Amino acid sequence: MPGKEQFNIVTKTNEDVDCLHLKGYLDAHTAPELEDAISGIINTGRKKILINFSNLDYISSAGLGVFMAFIEELRDKGGDLKMSDMKPKVFSVFDLLGFPMLFEIFKEEKSAIEKFKEMA
Amino acid sequence: MINGTQILNNKVCATSDYTELYRIREFVMDRAEKFGFSTEDASKVGLAVDEACTNIIRHSFKFDKSKKFCVQVDTNSNFFIINISDNGIPFNPMSVPEVDMNDYRKQLKRGGLGIHIIRNVMDEIEYIPSSGGDSMNLLTLKKSLI
Repeated sequence: MPGKEQFNIVTKTNEDVDCLHLKGYLDAHTAPELEDAISGIINTGRKKILINFSNLDYISSAGLGVFMAFIEELRDKGGDLKMSDMKPKVFSVFDLLGFPMLFEIFKEEKSAIEKFKEMA
Repeated sequence: MINGTQILNNKVCATSDYTELYRIREFVMDRAEKFGFSTEDASKVGLAVDEACTNIIRHSFKFDKSKKFCVQVDTNSNFFIINISDNGIPFNPMSVPEVDMNDYRKQLKRGGLGIHIIRNVMDEIEYIPSSGGDSMNLLTLKKSLI
């Protein structure tokens, strides 16, 4: 069952935070779908995005590149992109590249939402 | 043959299309686990092969879906060996300068991480470009169990 059915995004809104729940496999084939989703949120003027990884089983550099593409713009606008609920095998890819120094990664979505609420 | 991907016991040949990455990874991770790697290490080997194949599709074949490349797995007593062959434009990943991750994170750049991942995951990397004619570019990735 190859292809984009291997990846999907469910978006939920919690006040001014958009929570993207990723499922499946995020690679060079499926990364454009995530890019479109984040771009769509930013284009509406919203700037607080939480990525929930609880159902994501795989990420390659193409997926990581999507987050790199938007982080500066979001922070410049006073927002952020935070992450939560990573499986160890997904976290290990972030860790391999030292990305935990760049992104705030929380164990649970609730903690990330609370952190967002501390922001102006 | 399923969706352009032909899987033999130790070899998978695929069309130059990102849709094939999933099957290639599954094939490599399955063989890596059977060789003795933990699920997490097998996943990292699959990731390294994914990055290498992504580069071939992008740089060697320029997304030309009429092209094919093959991933073959071999083992000896110490090493899990992956040979990736293509007849596209030679692209030696080892010719790409190493990424300074401190600078990379500061500059918030995008891209160029795939080769960094391959270098970090695999123990040995060798690239032999095509010598012309029917010869293929050959990228060999090796990882030891120990």
